[in-house]
Amino acid sequence: MAQPLTTIGAKPAPEETQSCWSCGSMRAAHFCEACGKVQPPAPVDYFAFFGLPRKLNIDVAVLDKDFYELSRKLHPDLNARAGSQEQQWSLQQSSMLNDAHRTLKDPVRRTQYLLKLEGVALEEQSKSATEQARASGQAKKQIVPPDLLEEVFELNMTLEELRAQKKIGEDDPALIEEVGRHKIELEEKYDGLLRELQANWKTWDALIDRGQAGETISDNEYRQALDKMVDVLNRRNYIRNLVRDVNEALEN
Amino acid sequence: MSYSDKVIDHYNNPRNVGSLDKSSTDVGTGLVGAPECGDVMKLQIKVNPQTSVIEEAKFKTFGCGSAIASSSLATEWVKGKTVDEALTIKNMDIVKELSLPPVKIHCSVLAEDAIRAAIGDWKKKQETAKPVAVEAK
Repeated sequence: MAQPLTTIGAKPAPEETQSCWSCGSMRAAHFCEACGKVQPPAPVDYFAFFGLPRKLNIDVAVLDKDFYELSRKLHPDLNARAGSQEQQWSLQQSSMLNDAHRTLKDPVRRTQYLLKLEGVALEEQSKSATEQARASGQAKKQIVPPDLLEEVFELNMTLEELRAQKKIGEDDPALIEEVGRHKIELEEKYDGLLRELQANWKTWDALIDRGQAGETISDNEYRQALDKMVDVLNRRNYIRNLVRDVNEALEN
Repeated sequence: MSYSDKVIDHYNNPRNVGSLDKSSTDVGTGLVGAPECGDVMKLQIKVNPQTSVIEEAKFKTFGCGSAIASSSLATEWVKGKTVDEALTIKNMDIVKELSLPPVKIHCSVLAEDAIRAAIGDWKKKQETAKPVAVEAK
């Protein structure tokens, strides 16, 4: 899946420092092949830092292995005797390595990071959609499906009732049971959404593969694949907040 | 982050909390959500069918202080306006009035969405209900 580790030490030709956004040859920039010295950090994204294409199905075991290997070499302590410039670079590279690893390891953070890289700004989207609705008089398409909103609203009403009862020292077993049932349902939904997200990864990764194979992919195709992931993450946000609120209401 | 005095005021004394009869033909309901934070906002309006003036407005919001304040303010503003006047309310008007910081702008967007959704729902009801209403007069 990942490139062979031998690419780590390869010193890139100058033109390679502006490397392809998907082939990830920038990984070569961390060290000099000849002397093994740390190189100045190159302005690359986290995928490229690990020499990975911008694909979402990542072998986390390989990522971890690469991470440990690189952190051993880049750690500032190991370069303590180096010149101050090199120490600085090693510190910067280490810190980027940690951020990149933390982000890519987690399936949701990885997806959110890719969306950001691909220029998906959720809030901006929502705002401009409202402005469009204002100008055209058309109804704004809600990002969150209406039935989910309805469910979220109703459950919040129930939780409010539960909290109010607890405040005056009453416990309605039927209400607690109802909320408990919702909780199980929500947790199943939450897990299901991760699986749905992973299914969407496949669509995205296939586009990257086709693009790398020389096929022309329209912006629209990329956009659609990204939009699907945005949709799943949006729904997941709601469920996550709800589960948190349900837990709080049940515990207090 | 600290809230402005106006946000705190609306948060502590929200105006027009409650609900109206969803099934009534005079009532429009808007239910909207902001996925960035998981907030939900329900805003309802009761419109005078003769004058198109919004006579009553109610809201219920589950979310942060800014979302509650934005929807509370929205109900205050739409009351007494015609539906067409209410449609001219912009999210930035709410931002200015409540001095919302940039990270809370989406709360004002949500409030504007709620107003539009409620009016849209009411308008839809008028189209389907009109022939009956004319007959009844």
